[in-house]
Amino acid sequence: MLTQVLINGILIGGIYASFAVGFSLIFGVLRIVNILHGEFIMLGAFITYWLFKLYGIDPFLSIPVSFVILFIFGFLIQRYIINRIIEAPEIMSLLLTFGLSLIISNLALTVWKGDYRLVNPEYAGANFKILSFTIPYVRLATFSFALAAVGALYLFLQRTDLGRAIKATSQNKIGARIQGVRPSMIYAVTFGLGAAITAVSGSLISLSFSVFPSMGGDYLLFSFFIVVLGGLGHIPGALAGGLILGILQSLSTNFLGAGMTYILVFIVLYVVLIVRPAGIFGKGLV
Amino acid sequence: MFTIEILKIYKVKKNFGELMALNSVEVTLNQGDILGMIGPNGSGKTTLFNGISGIYSLTSGEIFYKGESLKNKSPHVICRLGIARTFQIVQPFSQMTILDNVMIGAMYGQGLSLPQGRDKAEEILRFVGLGEKIHLTPNEVTTEDRRRLELARALATDPEVILLDEIMAGLTPTEIDEALHLLRRINQKGITIFMVEHIMKAVMSISNRIIVLNYGEKIAEGTPKEVAENPEVIKAYLGERYV
Amino acid sequence: MAPLKASGYWLRFLTFIFMWIGLAGSLNLLTGYTGYLDFGHVAFFGIGAYITGILMVHLGMPFFPAMFIGAILAAVMAVIVGIPTMRLRGAYFAIAMLAFAEAMKHVVLEFDRFTGGGNGLSLPIYTNYLFFYYIMFSTVILTIGVTYWFEKSKFGKALMAIREAELAAEVSGVNTFRCKLVAFGISAFIAGIIGGIYAYWMTFLYPGDAFSVLITMRMIIMAFLGGAGTLLGPIIGASFLAAVEEVLWAEFKYSYLIIVGFVVVFVVLVLPRGIVGLVKEKARVK
Repeated sequence: MLTQVLINGILIGGIYASFAVGFSLIFGVLRIVNILHGEFIMLGAFITYWLFKLYGIDPFLSIPVSFVILFIFGFLIQRYIINRIIEAPEIMSLLLTFGLSLIISNLALTVWKGDYRLVNPEYAGANFKILSFTIPYVRLATFSFALAAVGALYLFLQRTDLGRAIKATSQNKIGARIQGVRPSMIYAVTFGLGAAITAVSGSLISLSFSVFPSMGGDYLLFSFFIVVLGGLGHIPGALAGGLILGILQSLSTNFLGAGMTYILVFIVLYVVLIVRPAGIFGKGLV
Repeated sequence: MFTIEILKIYKVKKNFGELMALNSVEVTLNQGDILGMIGPNGSGKTTLFNGISGIYSLTSGEIFYKGESLKNKSPHVICRLGIARTFQIVQPFSQMTILDNVMIGAMYGQGLSLPQGRDKAEEILRFVGLGEKIHLTPNEVTTEDRRRLELARALATDPEVILLDEIMAGLTPTEIDEALHLLRRINQKGITIFMVEHIMKAVMSISNRIIVLNYGEKIAEGTPKEVAENPEVIKAYLGERYV
Repeated sequence: MAPLKASGYWLRFLTFIFMWIGLAGSLNLLTGYTGYLDFGHVAFFGIGAYITGILMVHLGMPFFPAMFIGAILAAVMAVIVGIPTMRLRGAYFAIAMLAFAEAMKHVVLEFDRFTGGGNGLSLPIYTNYLFFYYIMFSTVILTIGVTYWFEKSKFGKALMAIREAELAAEVSGVNTFRCKLVAFGISAFIAGIIGGIYAYWMTFLYPGDAFSVLITMRMIIMAFLGGAGTLLGPIIGASFLAAVEEVLWAEFKYSYLIIVGFVVVFVVLVLPRGIVGLVKEKARVK
């Protein structure tokens, strides 16, 4: 029983990690706490939903579409709106992304209405058994995709020129400029990338959880929790943080009741902020 | 006259991850000194200042002020003890008047009340030459004036030691002379000055001693003349522009 | 200021405006003067409301002591939550507060024996609306008084210094940590008082209402639209927005939030100092 709960937690945790990674990336490079983050998840989820509902496209196939659309969207938002206040005090970017999230989530609410939607392809309920444990196919698939996405992002940052330029900018804006890299372009690409990978996670989430316009808020909080645990700006840490949240949520829902999850999450968050604000690996930006 | 050791920096190390910014640096300041600190960019000068003022914690080593260890003390406590500093990139309180800016130093650095702080601030602003501009905001005055403001705010905390981080950067030769004159007057009041500077002519002319940092290590120490002739220093600075 | 028209509608409308001026003002005390944005400020409103309700219902306490205790507890909670979060950059504080507000809502839902949970809490009935008018007005006076004190006092200047350049304030002798906590406690206390009054006024309390993130949003918008960190800002912002809402509410229920989002974006990009700031600037230029 306990092991099944743990397995469930790990599977969900992988997905959680995937949506926190984008948040961490944006903070690490632009030093912005992106309140719009939840809306990227929501938009990715809706893209998958509509493609499935209207055109019968398999959810996993809609992932590249989410990626591309949100990359462009994120790129444009940063380039033409957020970039204006990039040098301003932090509170400004908080307010700006907050305002944008209000616009986007309520626009979605007006257009798509508040109903809870489900993406359920035929294979949705199928699962297989290992030993005495049940593992739903969909969960396993989304878990793998999520891990692949995080891994791909990580490799991109480590191995490609553009990725390294992004990392350089996060460490030292002036140093990066000297190397011939234009920060404003890097910022736009990074924001787009963060948005895109978050949208992918939204697409994956739509297979396991309901989709509705105001879903972003909870995921924003979860992302924050994950990223504090793993270290703000530290991408591998987001993976650890995601798994921990997944397990924590699974344990709490099963043994304590669904309402307690938020309370438990906050308590853990509080303790972490007192004891180890730079995250488990100590690499977060405080 | 006794020489009192006012600031002792003892085997100070500071790491940032794998980067060693300061490697076992030792410096002693005597009361009344004007100690100049020079070195190429990135040699750890500002890091040392941040260590002294309590902004960074030290990886190892200790800093003593008048015999008392500064370990684990918050920056505001260190300020109230008597160590003031300016920043390389000035940090004024932009939405407050110049008078208010300096009042903060007087009220919180010295523990004065609002009216007392105001009087003290006015006095100091006259001293640094901003007496006519006290009701303007920092955005409304020149760069040089903002430097003066930064200095005034630090002076208002009634320090015994003042750390100046490239306070003369970007000034014209005339402005530099004025600044040096002001610094000498500050020193005459008994305040020990520890200054980082890139403008060689300035720092060499005013300091009674110089230390040189390179890659986080102290590579030379002595009178300005000794340091200028030191081959290690010349090597580190090959290509450095002499003003 | 006696009500010119003692008719029910106007009395209620004005009492609401006073409440919002007080709430926006309480947020302004923290955010306007220290620059720390609090995305969970509604928590203190809700704590004040629920403590007042619980004490009146379960202990038979009269209103004034109950309200006072509620406000004190709100302030205590603020300090408890502020201690780990205010040591870090402002972004941590902002979102940790969001998490805190959510957690508080769930605490109320979980401990339903005392709080009535999702079914709500029924306070003793008191329908003297004139009483609530005057008492809300008193909180406005209180808030304005405290704000004025912030503007003119030694303490207030320290807060402004923290807002402008926290590190410089710290090395100039300001104990930034303690100052921030004190400002936070005061601002939470006032929000708690207003919450207590709200509870008694409304008679019925529901967790979704008392801890609604919409309340925080409105506080933020009012404070910034009017001009954060000014005496008149919250008054102007609250009055303006309340008046606009009365007109728009019936017409555009959710589009209204979209407009609000645009207002926030507009304020950040165009009017960062709010309406008061704009007026001050015009005066200066002359």
